[in-house]
Amino acid sequence: MSEKWIVRIKVLLLSAVFSSIGNWINTRKADVPVNPLMAAPGLIAMFLCIVAGCLIQDFIEGKFKKFHLPTILYISMITIILSIPGVPTADFIASSFAKIGLLPLCTPILGYAGLSIAKDLDDFKKQGFAIVVVALCTFAGTFLGSAIIAQIVLKMTGVI
Amino acid sequence: MKDLMKDWKIHALCLILVIVSEFIGARKFAFGPIGFSLIPMLYALILGAVMGVCKLVNKEEMETSSEYIGISVMFLTAKMGSTIGPNLPAIVKAGPALLLQELGNLGTILIAIPVACLVFKMGRAAVGAGFSISREGSLAIIADMYGLASPEGQGVMGAYITGTVLGTVFNGLLVSFLITLNVFHPYALAMAAGTGSASMMSAALAPVVEAFPEMAETLSAYAASSQMLTSVDGMYMSLFIALPFTNWLYGKLSRKYSKKNAE
Repeated sequence: MSEKWIVRIKVLLLSAVFSSIGNWINTRKADVPVNPLMAAPGLIAMFLCIVAGCLIQDFIEGKFKKFHLPTILYISMITIILSIPGVPTADFIASSFAKIGLLPLCTPILGYAGLSIAKDLDDFKKQGFAIVVVALCTFAGTFLGSAIIAQIVLKMTGVI
Repeated sequence: MKDLMKDWKIHALCLILVIVSEFIGARKFAFGPIGFSLIPMLYALILGAVMGVCKLVNKEEMETSSEYIGISVMFLTAKMGSTIGPNLPAIVKAGPALLLQELGNLGTILIAIPVACLVFKMGRAAVGAGFSISREGSLAIIADMYGLASPEGQGVMGAYITGTVLGTVFNGLLVSFLITLNVFHPYALAMAAGTGSASMMSAALAPVVEAFPEMAETLSAYAASSQMLTSVDGMYMSLFIALPFTNWLYGKLSRKYSKKNAE
């Protein structure tokens, strides 16, 4: 097995364990505790989808050297297809993935990010204010963009 | 085997960060009418940074840790995909207004990138902060394409924090203001409220429902449908349209000052 895959599998397994613990603490607070054992089927299924996605990417990019798409595309493609209603795996995916919250999955990611960020903190501080303003502009932009288009189309189609 | 264990410290610290952050849990604060919220992943980010500043991790370990971001983000991707599949059939049923207003989500770029380039003369962090409303999916995209330790990564993380802390307040105020302008029909405002963040949607929808209580049900339905459509198309629109467009626009607008900086 290549170095890349060893590291990948190690970090995936650790992230899964960390998320299951975080998810447990998180769900206990909401009084619907999901212990790591209950989360395991969903996390294992996610792990298999991830590995499958990465294998497909390696295969395709091994065949077509110049072709590159982000890994998340391959992984999400697999979980999208497997969760479309009517596909035999859809019910299992829906019930097992639902046990693991979106936010507890993010906590380890931001943990690793936090641990790596101190070296760039000066950069970050210098731009902090600008980033905040730009972020607020994106919120205003998406809202106005959608509202303007919706208003025009609703008018044109005679709904309003 | 020795190699496999040599970075144990990073993982141990990450586990500690996860446990401590989740134990603190989500907190809501309110100063009068203005409220904001803090969530576990923010503590993990900030406490992790503090550990770095306190020299608990050295530079080499920081580099290693930043490589792990792109791997741990894969679970988030898998989870997000599983929320798209069940909603796919609904796209077929959505009307033209709901479908077309999804393109309005690209409006993020049209205001944000000019402000970033012309007002602040920002570097590549502008791309990360400006291409979307920087929710979890955007983190995943940037982590995968540039890494969160890159300038683009700093942009998206900063914007993510901004959205988490200030997003609901800002959206509430923005929409209340737009209602008083009386330019938009409440249906259009409700559709626009579905931007891909559940908390921002509720904050944006609330003032509309308050102003037009007799339409409450229709308004909520429009907002929820738009929200769901964004959850389906958001990741792909970001990858194939928003990010390339942002890079192009940033390249155009930053050319003047980036040349000057290079000299």
